[in-house]
Amino acid sequence: MGQFLRCTAVAVLFLLAFNSDLFAADTSEDQDSVIDVMGKVVDHDYFELIGGKKVYLPRILLVDGEWYFYSNTQAAIESGNFVQGETGIERADGASVTLDFSITSHLIYVWLSLIVTLLITIWAARRYRRGVGAETEPQGAWQNIFEILFVFIRDDIAKEFIPENKYKKYVAYLFTIFMAIAFMNLFGLLPWAAAATANITVTATLALITFAVTQFSGTKDHWQHVFAFPGVPGWSRIILTPVEILGLFTKPFALAIRLFANMLSGKIMIVIILGLIFIFADLFGNAVGLSSSIFWVLLTAALYFLKALIALIQAYVFTLLTAVFIGMAAEEHHHEHDETSVAQARDVEV
Amino acid sequence: MGFLAAGLGAGIIALGAGIGIGMIGKSATESIARQPEAAGDIRGAMLLTAVFIEGVALIGAIVCILLALGIGQ
Repeated sequence: MGQFLRCTAVAVLFLLAFNSDLFAADTSEDQDSVIDVMGKVVDHDYFELIGGKKVYLPRILLVDGEWYFYSNTQAAIESGNFVQGETGIERADGASVTLDFSITSHLIYVWLSLIVTLLITIWAARRYRRGVGAETEPQGAWQNIFEILFVFIRDDIAKEFIPENKYKKYVAYLFTIFMAIAFMNLFGLLPWAAAATANITVTATLALITFAVTQFSGTKDHWQHVFAFPGVPGWSRIILTPVEILGLFTKPFALAIRLFANMLSGKIMIVIILGLIFIFADLFGNAVGLSSSIFWVLLTAALYFLKALIALIQAYVFTLLTAVFIGMAAEEHHHEHDETSVAQARDVEV
Repeated sequence: MGFLAAGLGAGIIALGAGIGIGMIGKSATESIARQPEAAGDIRGAMLLTAVFIEGVALIGAIVCILLALGIGQ
């Protein structure tokens, strides 16, 4: 029960944390371009269903300390309080939106992937509690897949990089983040859907959570390494300390950028390669465009497989690096500079 | 000029990352051929190193994108 509560709390935190106004509702599309490449990857104020039907999502806006709630962007404009500005909607008196808490398509996909993760995990946990898999062999294909993934995260990632006596409490976080990112990435493979991880705010929030977990699991040794690197001359700490402090922040930054850039480039590449059909048709005539389309479509199909692979690899890489960073922070080093402590350490180890 | 810089920068990034990841792949395959039973460990180390190179390359790529979009002028 306690575990269920904790899961729910984490889920609620995720729901509250994920919001993006950076790419939200960019309606200023270039009318000349035949294919709206960036429109496929940026965030929207609507959720696209199978077949291209659009469900417009509610807008929650904070302008100068006042809250506004509308069922969608159209309703916000029709109410007279908001007008369509250059970069998005703004209040009729010209005040820009302070904070945009609107629900966007990427946010919906974040929720969907978290719900799928939660359901799979609860389903598996109930099975294991009943004794299926715990006392017997895991039954059925799905439980076997689950067990392979879970054991992989636990043994090959957590146990490998986090110190032996501490790894257990991080397995839950690592598994959650792996499944959530994998589903977010895989949703991007659906033609009408979007990868939520192709949004820097989503990956930055994930990296921020990893950053917090890393710093809170830091031992005394970790902070000593940051602020007073042991075993070096005193004057070199003037250089080392700023570099180490910078290193604390570049790690999650690189984590966010890596996932974001990989997922963004995947979708853009597919749209552009399909767009080559129309570019060829424009340049050399319809016949060339039509006949070359076989090649581009085959290339896109191959890229889809690559993208499915990259989706899983990037989820793995994010989890792996999270484990590495946690392991680096949680590690307890044995720095012995004088003979006695070395001898003591040897006694302890023996 | 921004476009030129971005294009050249992207090329140089691809060059550097390609050389780096190629060297990792080379030594990893050599090590696996030399000691096939350690393939799992070697693969993990290979991925980890490749990922770090990729991270540096992507930060360079982001700089190129910012240049091409003319942000920061």
